[in-house]
Amino acid sequence: MKPGMLKAYIHVIKLAYIFTLKQSMTDAFILFGIFVQPLLIAIMALFILGEQGDGVVIFIVVGSGLTGLWDSVLFQSGSSITRERWTGTLEVLVAMPTPLGVIVFGKNLAFVTQSLGSMIIAYTCASIIFGYPLSVESPSLFIVSIVLTVLSLVCMGLVLATLFVLNPDMQRWSNGLEFPVFILAGFLFPIAMLPQWTTPLSYILAPYWAAVALHMSSSGKPDILEISLPWAMMMLLGVLYLFLAFWLFRKMLFKARVDATLIGQ
Amino acid sequence: MSKVIANIRLFFQGAVLSYIALFAWFRPSQYIATKVVGPLAQILFFTLMGKFGTSGESADFYIIGNAIQITALSGIFGVTFSIAGDRWNGTLPYQFGTPANRMTMFLGRAAIHVIDGIFGVLIGFAWGVTLLGLDLSNTDPWALLLVIAVTTFSTSGLGLLLGSLSLITRNVMFINNTAYFLLLVLSGSNIAIDRLPPALQAISNFLPLTRGIASARAIIDGATFREVRPAMLEEIGIGIIYIMCGYALFRWIEVLAKRRGTLEAM
Repeated sequence: MKPGMLKAYIHVIKLAYIFTLKQSMTDAFILFGIFVQPLLIAIMALFILGEQGDGVVIFIVVGSGLTGLWDSVLFQSGSSITRERWTGTLEVLVAMPTPLGVIVFGKNLAFVTQSLGSMIIAYTCASIIFGYPLSVESPSLFIVSIVLTVLSLVCMGLVLATLFVLNPDMQRWSNGLEFPVFILAGFLFPIAMLPQWTTPLSYILAPYWAAVALHMSSSGKPDILEISLPWAMMMLLGVLYLFLAFWLFRKMLFKARVDATLIGQ
Repeated sequence: MSKVIANIRLFFQGAVLSYIALFAWFRPSQYIATKVVGPLAQILFFTLMGKFGTSGESADFYIIGNAIQITALSGIFGVTFSIAGDRWNGTLPYQFGTPANRMTMFLGRAAIHVIDGIFGVLIGFAWGVTLLGLDLSNTDPWALLLVIAVTTFSTSGLGLLLGSLSLITRNVMFINNTAYFLLLVLSGSNIAIDRLPPALQAISNFLPLTRGIASARAIIDGATFREVRPAMLEEIGIGIIYIMCGYALFRWIEVLAKRRGTLEAM
């Protein structure tokens, strides 16, 4: 790839990011997923887990924020191509010289970063309304964990977006995929509570490693070696998701040319 | 007499057709994901969180609470979509133009969802018994079924009110989802009502589900229907109040829409 091309792609990602962010702020359903649902889950978790002491509150803030992140990946990033189909803009995007994946990457980046707002809302609620003293134990490790979480989830969103187009039945299952990932990723309780056969499923999910890294850095002071495992897993899974998404994008666009349609299901 | 028969026919035809219309786009795979897998995952999530927590509630507390709360999937989402569907599909003007009895039409939108909601709760209990060891040995099954039916009816009443709201707002998904999650917080499904602040307890008292969930827990604990009858009568009353509010809003929207000539009150 030529350096000029990379610059152009970054510019497209930036524009897709800004446009999606502005558009999302007018969609009440997106705002529900980012702000209302994680807040209500945080409130429930505070009642259910809160008696474990003040130390568990930051765990709840991070865990309920992660539910917002996953909802955003599942419902918004997952529909990022389908929504273009509904609005009839997909043909235009595909016909552009910029690869569709670059545009969708920018859109997904916006969906995932804006859903970080759910953590801020949960934090504000717990500290102001419920009066819990809150602090992130290892701020620098937490910030690195956040960055890696965002990148790995954006890549995961690219896979979901193409899968949902290639197989609309999978998208119809999205309602049924919300809580299972809350459970498998151990957002609000450890996966040790689950049967052992589910553990490999957790390990292939970037949200699980994101939860490990974020809980570790927010609730304790892990050494760099300890936290490097979830970081490495997020990077590894992010790269794997990216390759898978690249292959799925090619497959999707090839199928569209064979079927001569980008709209029909 | 013929008018009564015509209304009964309209009620059942409207009920069946609106349900079929909803499933014109709602595929069986989506139904399984939403009504079978989703509820299991919701029950598991809150039960496991409850086990991890130390709030003192047993696993059964969360299993029963969430199994009953699942009725809101049909009562809130199903009923609202059935009413909002007339707007999305452009059939609202025909509905407002017909001389048919409005109350019959309005109630018909919820009828099949009540049956579907009862079925959904039974699926929830089946998951609870088979996977999580919920013990129903002290339970009078008919009393529990009656409690489920009454609770589903009252929740559908709230669904009818939200359905009417869906005719004056574009944010129906926001309203539905917020109502669903607020019920999770306030109905006693996951937090014991007496642990809520007094203001929230007062709100909880006016919600459907609250008495239904408490009664289901009592029945499973060995109580008879006679013991929960007062709570069930109140639950029916709450359902009727929501239906009447929903109907009043529906008629007001019709009058307003006809006066303005917009037919969708937008």
